Amino acid sequence: MSGPRYERSKRQDQHLIGFECQACGWVSFPEEKRTCKRCGDAPAEMEEVQLAERGEIQTFVVQQYLPDDIETPQPVAIVDLPQEGEGEPARAYGLLTETDLEEIDVGTEVVARFRELFSDGERPINSFKFSVPREEKA
Amino acid sequence: MRDAYLIGAGQSDYGSFPGESYRSLFRTAFENACDSVPAGIESEDVDEAIVGTLGVGGRQLGLPGPAVTEHVGLHGIPVTRVENACAASGYSVRQGVQAIRSGMADVVLASGVEIMTDVSGDAVRYWLGVSGETEWERLSGTTFAGVYAQMASRHMQEYGTTREQLSHVAVKNHENGAKNPHAQLGFECSLEDAMGAPTVADPLNLYHCCPTTDGAACVLLASEDVVENYTDDPIRVAGVGAGSDRVGLFQRDTYTAVPASQYAADRAYEMAGYGPDDLDFAEVHDCFAIAELMAYSDLGLCEPEEAGEFVASGTTKRDGEMPVNTSGGLKSKGHPIGATGAGQVVEAFKQLSGQAGERQLDDPQIGLTHNVGGSGGAAVVHVFERGLGGDAA
Repeated sequence: MSGPRYERSKRQDQHLIGFECQACGWVSFPEEKRTCKRCGDAPAEMEEVQLAERGEIQTFVVQQYLPDDIETPQPVAIVDLPQEGEGEPARAYGLLTETDLEEIDVGTEVVARFRELFSDGERPINSFKFSVPREEKA
Repeated sequence: MRDAYLIGAGQSDYGSFPGESYRSLFRTAFENACDSVPAGIESEDVDEAIVGTLGVGGRQLGLPGPAVTEHVGLHGIPVTRVENACAASGYSVRQGVQAIRSGMADVVLASGVEIMTDVSGDAVRYWLGVSGETEWERLSGTTFAGVYAQMASRHMQEYGTTREQLSHVAVKNHENGAKNPHAQLGFECSLEDAMGAPTVADPLNLYHCCPTTDGAACVLLASEDVVENYTDDPIRVAGVGAGSDRVGLFQRDTYTAVPASQYAADRAYEMAGYGPDDLDFAEVHDCFAIAELMAYSDLGLCEPEEAGEFVASGTTKRDGEMPVNTSGGLKSKGHPIGATGAGQVVEAFKQLSGQAGERQLDDPQIGLTHNVGGSGGAAVVHVFERGLGGDAA
């Protein structure tokens, strides 16, 4: 498999920067800043927004049936990451790690971290991992 | 507008067939479709062919269209392959209708084919995944079942939908599939069996997931100018609608509906001049149990919060008020990705022409088919009605 051809910078990866469509308020994160994926505005007027590292689980799955070399159960969530200021949150996919399955529900607060998920031998494959904030763990 | 009519439709058996090829399955479907045309049809009558296939396993990824039509004696005509993941051949049918309505063809073969069971488990999981959003959804580790399970989690949280209601989808569709001689999993299952199956992607268990399947389906369409040469009992394509959406679930505005299905249904109903209350039956895209529940509300059969009870109450059973998936659906009949959409039209043809055997409904007049690509990046809906309909009626 070839590596992802991301349109994003190291700065975006490391600082959770999104792009807010000035026409409809959609927050693109992290790769698209030319076209709005909701209202279709193009070229869209996108304003850079800072996203919080804490977000809320919108939905999730606990995957059990996976290729043999992948550890199960594997929980994966869609998480809303709010802006530092006013406006809509951005959405991100991410594995849930260091988290008990019982803690995972719609509405659970999690912390986002950008990590290398695996390497294809030449390039790292990066994506988000989320976990329930340590101090709030039961 | 020039009308298009369904004059014949047929499919191969759906299942796992080590002794068959994509060409032999296609030939069976084509012959069954030709045999179903009341006044008969000759290969040379076909002006154009459209073949839907994803191409699971690789094999004939380029030119799969001519590779199957050459095998059934359709020589020299234009042939196009359509790829829209699991909605490939629903879109084949739509493209066939477009060819007829535009006046460029009088008789069109709209079809689909897929072979999925001769590759390893890991390979088939890879090929199922190729229709997910690659950069974020797949690379976060989410499988195809995982995406639908995410919809199910949210549906359960938002509307109180239960695992038992999801399991009722399997029980109902197996009850129907047990009466379909072409079905892959043509056996009945109890609610206990469906509830107790191993977990695939929590909250979805094995009985909430359709199988992988080998199969082919062929649909023959004719223009209003020639339809009388083929049948005295025409079935009109009353409405066609299609729509698309963001491929990745995470970028959509809702996780408990498939907006592409709503766009497609709205357009099909508008063209047909019919609404959900006019339908006598529907074949919907139940790749996962939650997909059937979302289809109910996306097609306007009920509200989203009613979807679980809609199936659990028996409303969508064969003898219910709104029969859904009389064929057995993807769950029991099977899901050969590229053939599924055309295969749904085969069931609509059989029901509307009174050839559905043991699962025949009582004189249905209007039916709908609903075919989804991936987790909802594409969808297509057809509304069919018995008779000449429209201006010709």
